[in-house]
Amino acid sequence: MSFGSPYTTLPDFEYHKPANLEEVLDLLKQYGDDARLMGGGIGLIAFMKERLVSPMHVIDVKEVAEFKQVSEVPGGGISIGAAVTLSELLEGGALKKDYAVLHEALAKVADPMIRRRATLVGNLCEAIPWVDSPPALIALDAVVNIAGPEGRRSVPVGGFIRGPVDIDLSPTEIVTAVEIPHAKKAESAFEKFTGGSEFSLASVAVVLSSGGRNREARVVYGAVNSTPVRSLEVEVAIKDGITPGSVRKAAEIASEKVECVDDVLASAAYRKHLLKVITTKVLRRMMSK
Amino acid sequence: MREIAVTVNGKVRRRTIKDNELLLDFLRERLEVRSVKAACWRGECGLCTVMLDGHLVKSCLVLAVEADRRDVKTVEGISEDGELAPIQKAFVDHGAAQCGFCTPAWVLATHALLKANPHPTDADLIEATSGLVCRCGTYNQIREAVAEVSEASRPHREVKESIARA
Repeated sequence: MSFGSPYTTLPDFEYHKPANLEEVLDLLKQYGDDARLMGGGIGLIAFMKERLVSPMHVIDVKEVAEFKQVSEVPGGGISIGAAVTLSELLEGGALKKDYAVLHEALAKVADPMIRRRATLVGNLCEAIPWVDSPPALIALDAVVNIAGPEGRRSVPVGGFIRGPVDIDLSPTEIVTAVEIPHAKKAESAFEKFTGGSEFSLASVAVVLSSGGRNREARVVYGAVNSTPVRSLEVEVAIKDGITPGSVRKAAEIASEKVECVDDVLASAAYRKHLLKVITTKVLRRMMSK
Repeated sequence: MREIAVTVNGKVRRRTIKDNELLLDFLRERLEVRSVKAACWRGECGLCTVMLDGHLVKSCLVLAVEADRRDVKTVEGISEDGELAPIQKAFVDHGAAQCGFCTPAWVLATHALLKANPHPTDADLIEATSGLVCRCGTYNQIREAVAEVSEASRPHREVKESIARA
């Protein structure tokens, strides 16, 4: 057997496959800190191989019926259950028209085989700085629905991600769904730069909506800092329309104002440059639509 | 420890496994399905690719217990009536294997692609196989093999051939 060397084996754990939310909450109550929730397992299995986490209990939530659904929310918008995979979202067509920014972000995550297993909620809950779904979800003003022993609560995605690998979720709680409000007549787009690596070095999500006379812009950058960064200054620059002039201005502002970090993947100065490039790219694409 | 029953290439296989066992290890070590290769162990190379309930997945990122009472297909399961599948023949004809280590995964992935989309464009092929690597660099030969199977299944091809024969 090839068991034994690091990175190829998993720590010992007991596997649980609850059938409904009640069972999930019971297991979390019973095992708390000793348990880890698993959706597609992409992040968890990798983390366990590296012994970054060694849970005694793994709770697989893929068979929870309530988590498998993409449903319309009364009053507009959609709710995406915790077990819905990226492939299901991309193939289902629910995103393509009204939530293009999320469709574009998810379409370029890893590869089709990973997307077949990875879930949106799992992707979000990893809260790794270079993951692509959070900026898109924040730009769409999405909220995270959480269930726990004290009942249900909702938190905006922006507040849910507190830091790198740090989310607003206690060990006895679970994210049941991500809910995206319907943005009226919204145009949106996503752009990322990976430099040929598997990680985003900088990404941007833009949503432009016009409810009546009020145009609203939301611009969120990912992978440049420990959490996604919303730029109100860039939003102001494009609020009145995307023109060659406003694109140039927005790109300058993004590069100047959005705070970037130096890390092993890229220097802050390089990321500043990338902000200019991807801001220009995404806005030009929206302009020509 | 628990017993699982997995249908592998049409045959139900029962084994007692540990909860923390990967599907990759279950297939390679417990069932000795050695076409499923263990290489990167982290979902990057794609050489452990198998079909789980009709979809391609990387078996180093799947727990064996998750495959309980489900259907797994490996490259051994794609030939029909003892004959190589068209894409397998095309791989041979085009020399789409150098060292051969990655070949089972590529054959399985391109076979699945051609079943879902009989006439893939280059972009379709690149996207569908973006999770696989071939360190010998036989990408062009693989592309030719896929193109041949795609061409051969176009209706006009048969008509042309029968005209040519007449």
